[in-house]
Amino acid sequence: MKQIGTIVDGNELPVTGRESTSRTPDSARAGDQVPEKVSEPHPTTIIRAPTLSMKSLAHAMRELFEYRDLLYTLSVHRLKVRYKQSVLGPTWAILQPLLLMLIFTVVFSRIVRLPSDGIPYALFAYSALLPWTYFSSSLSSATNSLVSHFSLVTKVYFPREILPLTYVIAGLIDFLLASLVLGALLVYYHVSLTVHAFMAIPTIAVLTVFTVAMSFVLSTIQVRYRDVGVAMPLILQLWMFATPIVYPLSVVPNRWRGLYELNPMVGIVESLRRVIVQGLPPDFHALGVSAAVSAILLPIAFLYFKRAEATVADII
Amino acid sequence: MSDLVLDHVSKRYSVQHRVEVKNGWRALRQRFRELRGRTDEFWALRDVSFEVARGETLGIIGHNGAGKSTILKLLSKVTTPTSGEIRIGGRLSALIEVGSGFHPELTGRENIYLSASIMGMRRREIVEKLERIIDFSGVGDFIDTPVKHYSSGMYVRLGFSIAAHLEPDILLLDEVLAVGDATFQAKCLDRINQLHGEGRTIVFISHDLASVERLCGRVLLLDHGQVIASGSARDVIETYWEAGRTRRSSEQLDRSVECSREVEVRSVTCHDASGQEATAFRTGSPVTVRLKYAAHVTMADVIVELYVHSIVAGQYGAWFQLTTASGGNGEPLRLEQGDGEIEFDIDELALLPGVCQLSARIAHQGQPSNKAIDWLHNCLTLRVDPGKSVRGTFYTPHRWRLVRASHRLESERMEHSPLATSSSGGK
Repeated sequence: MKQIGTIVDGNELPVTGRESTSRTPDSARAGDQVPEKVSEPHPTTIIRAPTLSMKSLAHAMRELFEYRDLLYTLSVHRLKVRYKQSVLGPTWAILQPLLLMLIFTVVFSRIVRLPSDGIPYALFAYSALLPWTYFSSSLSSATNSLVSHFSLVTKVYFPREILPLTYVIAGLIDFLLASLVLGALLVYYHVSLTVHAFMAIPTIAVLTVFTVAMSFVLSTIQVRYRDVGVAMPLILQLWMFATPIVYPLSVVPNRWRGLYELNPMVGIVESLRRVIVQGLPPDFHALGVSAAVSAILLPIAFLYFKRAEATVADII
Repeated sequence: MSDLVLDHVSKRYSVQHRVEVKNGWRALRQRFRELRGRTDEFWALRDVSFEVARGETLGIIGHNGAGKSTILKLLSKVTTPTSGEIRIGGRLSALIEVGSGFHPELTGRENIYLSASIMGMRRREIVEKLERIIDFSGVGDFIDTPVKHYSSGMYVRLGFSIAAHLEPDILLLDEVLAVGDATFQAKCLDRINQLHGEGRTIVFISHDLASVERLCGRVLLLDHGQVIASGSARDVIETYWEAGRTRRSSEQLDRSVECSREVEVRSVTCHDASGQEATAFRTGSPVTVRLKYAAHVTMADVIVELYVHSIVAGQYGAWFQLTTASGGNGEPLRLEQGDGEIEFDIDELALLPGVCQLSARIAHQGQPSNKAIDWLHNCLTLRVDPGKSVRGTFYTPHRWRLVRASHRLESERMEHSPLATSSSGGK
C-alpha cells in the first residue's frame, strides 16, 4: 500500500523517541508557517507521514484559517482575471443563466409546452438555472483547479483546498450578481416575496456546502485520473436533467420520488423556487436529504482531500 | 538549539513505466493500475538525518538525482516524507523560482499581493511592505501595468523583490543564484548575507560549489539519497570532487560512439608550473594540459581540441577551448603512427573558483561536430581555488602602468603583481 503523507501539528501525535519540547501551548497551537507575529516564540512545524483522524481535520481547519488572507486574495484574483480581457466583463455572470433561460423558455414553453406549476416559464426556469449555474460552473472549474495550478502546487506550499474554494467563492459572487435579474423578473411578473423567502439563505448555504464537498472530491480524483475533467460536461448535463430545472418536481411519479430526491440538487433547486417564486415553505423533506448528504459528505471529502494533498505534488 | 531537524527521513517515489498492452479489457485494467501508481518505486531519500542550528548556513551538494530537490520539496512542505519526520522551528520560506504565482493579466501591484500571499505573507504585512517591495524592484511607474508587458528582467526583479521581503526564520535557497544577470546575483548575495548577519538560518541547495563554499559554514554531501559526508565546506567539496574523479577513472573514460578511432586519446592530465600533475589550480596560475594519444595509422589533417566546461553544461556549453587549430601556423596537425603527447600551455588560468571538467576531441579538419576520430567526454575534473581576482565571470590576464603623474611623466611598465591586481582588478 502506498503511504500517503500528511502534515500534522507537532503536539498531536506521540513522537517515536519522544522528546520534550519547550513550546508553550500557544505556540504549539499555531503550528504553521505563518505565525501571528514574527516576534512570537518560534512555532514548530512537524512534517511527517500519514494519519487520518479527527485531530488532523481540526488541524487542517486551523491551518486554513491561518491562510484566510490567501483565500481572500486568490478569490478576488479569480474574479479579476476572468473578465480582464473580455468586453462584457462581469455581465457574463448574468448572461449565462439568462441566455439559457431564454432558450429553455422558447423550447420547453413555446414548442414542447412543459408544465411549470402555473408560474411564468421564464421565471420558473431562471429561478432554477440560477443555483444550477452556480453549482455547475463552480464545480467544473474547481475540478481542474489543482491540475491547472501545477506550477504552484509543485513549488510552494499553502493549503491546497484554497484552490477549489476560490472557484466556489467566485461562483457565489456570480450567483449573487445573477440574482439581480431574478429580482427584475419578479418585479416584471408582479410576484411579491413572502416571509418564506428567508429560507433561501439556508438553502444557498446547503448548496454551497455541497458544491465545496463535491469540488474537493473531484479535484482530487482529477489529479490522478484526468478522465474526470473530460467527463465533467457530460456528467453535468445528465445531472441537470435529473434535477427539476426545466420541468417541475410535480411531474416526477410518486414511486420514483424517494430515489429521485437522493440527488441533493433536487431539494435545493426545488426549495429555492418554492420560497422565492411560489412564496411557499421549502420542500423540507427533499431539502433535509440535501442538507444531510452535504453535512456528511463535507468532512469526509475534506479529509480525503487533505490526505491526498500530502503527495499531490508527486503525482500531478 | 536546532532550527531544523530531519529525523530518519525517507522518501519513496513511484515510477510509472508505460507498458504497451494489447487492446481490450486487460489494457484498461493495466492503465488503471499504472495511474494508481502501483508500479515500480525508488527511494529518493533513505534514512536521512541532520540538524541545522539557528543562525547556521548549511549547504547541500550532490550529483543530479542524489536527492537534493527532494529535500527541498520536503522542507518547503510541497510533499511529505514516506517515513521519518521533519521539525521546523519557525517560519520557513523558500527563495525558489522567482515570480511563481504571477498572473500575466494582472498589474505588478496586484501580482505583489497575489504572489506574496501565496508565499505566506499576511495581507497586513504586504500593505506595510508594499512601497519597499516596489522600490526594491525598481520597476517604477510600470507597477500598475499588467506584467505581461514587462521585460523578463523586470519580471525577475519584481519576483525577487517579493521573495527578499519575506523575512523568514529559515531561508531555503535553490539554484536561484544560477539565474538572472550579474546584478541580480549580486543582489541575491547581498540579501543572503544580510539575512545571515541577522542570525537567520539558511539552507542552500546547489550545484554551484564556489557559491556553496563562499556562503556555507557546513556542507552535506548527498549521494543516492543518503548523506555520505558532512563537515566544513572545504572538506566536503574535496570529497565530492574526489568521488567524481574516482568515478571517472572507474568508468574507463566514457567514450562517445561515433568515432572512427584511428587515433585514440589515452589520457588527459594537468600539470602545474613545476610539471607536477595536479587537479587543483588557482585562478591566474599557469596550467599545462598534457594529452597522450595512440595513433594506429599516420594521419595528416588532424585537429586536437580540449573543451573546458562546467559539470552541468557539458562540452556544448564550453567556457573555452584549447585547440591545435589556433596555435602555430594554423596548419592541420600531422600525427605519425605510434604514441605521442601534445601539451597545451595556459599562462594564466581564466577560471574563477569552482569546478570544471575537460573533454577531449581529435577530429579531421572540418569534420562536423557530431563526428570525430576520438572523443572523450568529461575525462578530467579540475578544481579551481581562489587566486587572482575574484569579481566578474572570468579572470583575464592584464598588465597596467601609470602613464601620467602630477610631478613628472612616467611610463614605467609594471609587471603584474598581487598588489596591482587588487587595485585594477577590483571592479
